[in-house]
Amino acid sequence: MKRTFRIALAGNPNAGKTTIFNHLTGAHQHVGNYPGVTVERKSGHCRLGELELEIIDLPGIYSLTSATAEERIAAEELQSGEIDLILDIVDSANLQRHLYLTTQLAELQLPLLLVFNMADDARKLGFKFNYDQLERFFGAPIVKTIGAQGIGIDRLKLTVSKMLRGELVLPPARFTYGVEADRMIQDLAEQLHTALPTLPITPRYYAIKLLEHDREIVARPEFAPLLPAAEEFRRQLTERLGVDMETFLADQRYGIISGACREAVKRTLNQRIQISDRLDSVLTSRYFGLPIFLMIMFLVFLFTFQCADPFIGLIEQLFESLANAIRAHWPESAAPIFRSLLVDGIIGGVGSVLVFLPNILFLFLAIAFLEGTGYMSRAAYVMDGVMHKFGLHGKSFIPMLLGFGCSVPAVMATRTIESERDRLTTIMVIPLMSCSARLPIYALIIPAFFVEKYQALVMWIIYLIGVVLALVLARLLKSTLFKGGDEVFVMELPPYRLPTFKSLCIHMWERTAMYLHKAGTLILAASIILFLISTYPIKTELATDYAGETQRIEQSTLAPEAKAEQLATLEAAQKAELLEYSVAGRIGRGLEVVLRPIGFDWRVSSALIGAFAAKELFVSQLGILYSVGDADEESMPLRTALRENYTPLQGFCIMLFCLVTMPCLATVAVVRRETNSWKLTLLQALGLLVLAWLCAFVVYQLGSFLQLGTQLLGA
Amino acid sequence: MAENNISSSLEDYLEAIAEITADNGHAHTKDIAERLKVKMPSVTNALRQLAGRGLIHYESHAPVVLTPAGEARAAAVQQRHTTLQNFFRDVLKVDEQSASDCACKIEHVIGEEVRQRVAVLARAIAERPDCAELRRYLEETMPGIHASQENLLCTLDQLQPGQRGLVTRVDEKLPGARRLTVMGLIKNAEVEMEGRAPFGDLLRLKLLGSSITLRAGDAEHVLVKPV
Repeated sequence: MKRTFRIALAGNPNAGKTTIFNHLTGAHQHVGNYPGVTVERKSGHCRLGELELEIIDLPGIYSLTSATAEERIAAEELQSGEIDLILDIVDSANLQRHLYLTTQLAELQLPLLLVFNMADDARKLGFKFNYDQLERFFGAPIVKTIGAQGIGIDRLKLTVSKMLRGELVLPPARFTYGVEADRMIQDLAEQLHTALPTLPITPRYYAIKLLEHDREIVARPEFAPLLPAAEEFRRQLTERLGVDMETFLADQRYGIISGACREAVKRTLNQRIQISDRLDSVLTSRYFGLPIFLMIMFLVFLFTFQCADPFIGLIEQLFESLANAIRAHWPESAAPIFRSLLVDGIIGGVGSVLVFLPNILFLFLAIAFLEGTGYMSRAAYVMDGVMHKFGLHGKSFIPMLLGFGCSVPAVMATRTIESERDRLTTIMVIPLMSCSARLPIYALIIPAFFVEKYQALVMWIIYLIGVVLALVLARLLKSTLFKGGDEVFVMELPPYRLPTFKSLCIHMWERTAMYLHKAGTLILAASIILFLISTYPIKTELATDYAGETQRIEQSTLAPEAKAEQLATLEAAQKAELLEYSVAGRIGRGLEVVLRPIGFDWRVSSALIGAFAAKELFVSQLGILYSVGDADEESMPLRTALRENYTPLQGFCIMLFCLVTMPCLATVAVVRRETNSWKLTLLQALGLLVLAWLCAFVVYQLGSFLQLGTQLLGA
Repeated sequence: MAENNISSSLEDYLEAIAEITADNGHAHTKDIAERLKVKMPSVTNALRQLAGRGLIHYESHAPVVLTPAGEARAAAVQQRHTTLQNFFRDVLKVDEQSASDCACKIEHVIGEEVRQRVAVLARAIAERPDCAELRRYLEETMPGIHASQENLLCTLDQLQPGQRGLVTRVDEKLPGARRLTVMGLIKNAEVEMEGRAPFGDLLRLKLLGSSITLRAGDAEHVLVKPV
């Protein structure tokens, strides 16, 4: 049989679906898109003997009938008629809720395989299963696994093979929903079969969906003629039993499940209080929950910045050596523009991005750890009260935290927020979480203008301003643009687990890859463009005769140091003149008009253009404009240049502006994708730009008026 | 003398006036307002009505004085209050404050005949020798009887941490009620309240073996029977 079989992986969130997916598909196979959280359609390949399998990891869902986007996607995939086998992953230590989905999957009457995952937890809790009975009951073979340790995977693969080859076929489940409902289902199914003989899934499934008034099914034109009959049945049932059909069927399903469990699941230990409960009584306590949470957050940041530091130094050195090596081996005369492009433009630009890779890696690692243990849902629980007051959602918290690393995965992570209004609000304010790209800017400016003892404080103030603005803006948005009632919020708090190192790395890498992708493409392209607009057009007729002056200095009788100094100054002046003439310079001059009220001159304005593409480029661009070759934030010459040209107040305003202003190109692109609206994307970009200007304006004018920060603090 | 019906609220005013007069010799509108914890305009209004019924002498800027009819009426109310309060305190062994509060409410509706019989009952229980065992029994059992939650339905958000309950009904009108049902919040499901989040809007419950969180506002739409 030489064709590709399609296997769907279904199950509740927290059932360990993705781990099993990774085991089956070898490496972490993501097709294309940013993975974010498991909402995107993920598929991978697997080979079992001579069988080719395409495995689709469906979003984690609790049911096929609710109206969330994930559930719609999953239902669509399963109803397509192209699925050959369903792997239903259940947490066998928490069976009842997980089996709710199973009852619906069974009604599809497609080959079904139940994977009783977390078998170790089930055993520890004293569960004993009568697998034969359960298999007969659900019409599906059962395989035990411990996904986190890879146990049972081989058995799983074997069973899948057998099923696909037709060697293992169990009679389908026969559920009863009560005499009345059964009759109605039967009736509708027959009608469906007559009217639409070529349905991809058994008519019984659609009959049930019609009775439940499933939004998607009911909207399909081919089912229109059957709607009246379905409506009539619904009305009859409600009249007789006093509940609506959906509630009734849900009741029935849980009844079916508890019936099955009563027969086939025994619990030998009766440990009511589990470790998870004990931990939760502290971690989610009404009084200690928040302080503990804040402490954990503090540790995360400590971890991110402290532990990453040595690695940052390493990478910096690496890039510097690279740049020096090229400068040494590439003669200045041969294609000087390209040489400069490579060294200053590309290595300078991309280098400044990658330097912060360790920070990002560590932050994402910490977050992956918190997610893997299950603490993140507790964090959302604890933070919800506070976030709610600002119009945000408890689940907004993780995306905002990710925003401190990079806005791109942060915006992707908002997919977990079901309420569209809350989701959009969160997306709009994420750029205010000072991302790692802005760190070079702070790292350059703060030491240039503030004495050592104030440096950390100023950094904190900037971050804090970002957070405060985000919360205020969120509150504003929620009461105006995104006004609306809250939707029902139910969230499961999974039992605490210790994640495996491998799964941590995979999750950390998923998000880091997004960051690198951005660096590799956008920033590279932007660096090149920026270099070009800073170089061209080349001024041919210069104001000063630099060549002549150079000669004069060299031939003069000055001491070598004095000569070198004068030559350097001359070179700087020459570069400056060329720069002013270039496109970048002219744009800067043009922008200066608007930016002077906030204290920016043409150089800063010009550097801001670079910042639009990617915030990190602000520093390298500023370096170019001050004729400091391959400048980075550690650059003493650049810092000196800044000190000589600006006041601390201006420095602060520059940082403030960069904090608030519109997000980088990559973020804008992702926001457009996730909000599906140009209006909102532009609103965010322009809104933040205007807000940034206003904030800097207020601070600068007020500061100038009050004579604050016009002199170096503590100098 | 005709027992013209006056409202309970007016009876309270009479009672208050009588008490204040007994304490101070006369009653000013200010004192009445303070004792009954009402605003001056309400007092003025009530006094006008009482004056209209001939129960008080009321002139502005002068202290309020009960007419003989008013005095008699006030005495009657006080007597009802006392009988009831004593009954609650001495027979039902209710604490002084609760006895008084309860008496304050019932005193307006209990008729004279019933009051007299209650008084006789109370005296009989307190004094008759053949009631000695009854007295002992009341002494023992009454203090131990408290308002129990048994068989009292409440909404899910009213459960106390550590308390368990059986779901009776999920309000179908709640938008998104479906999500609750899917998670297992159905009729006869057993839930255990585990705690509340800081700033109290989220609840943590144990349902079907694992914890879920729910907004207090949504939990109000779920009826449970505490067990």
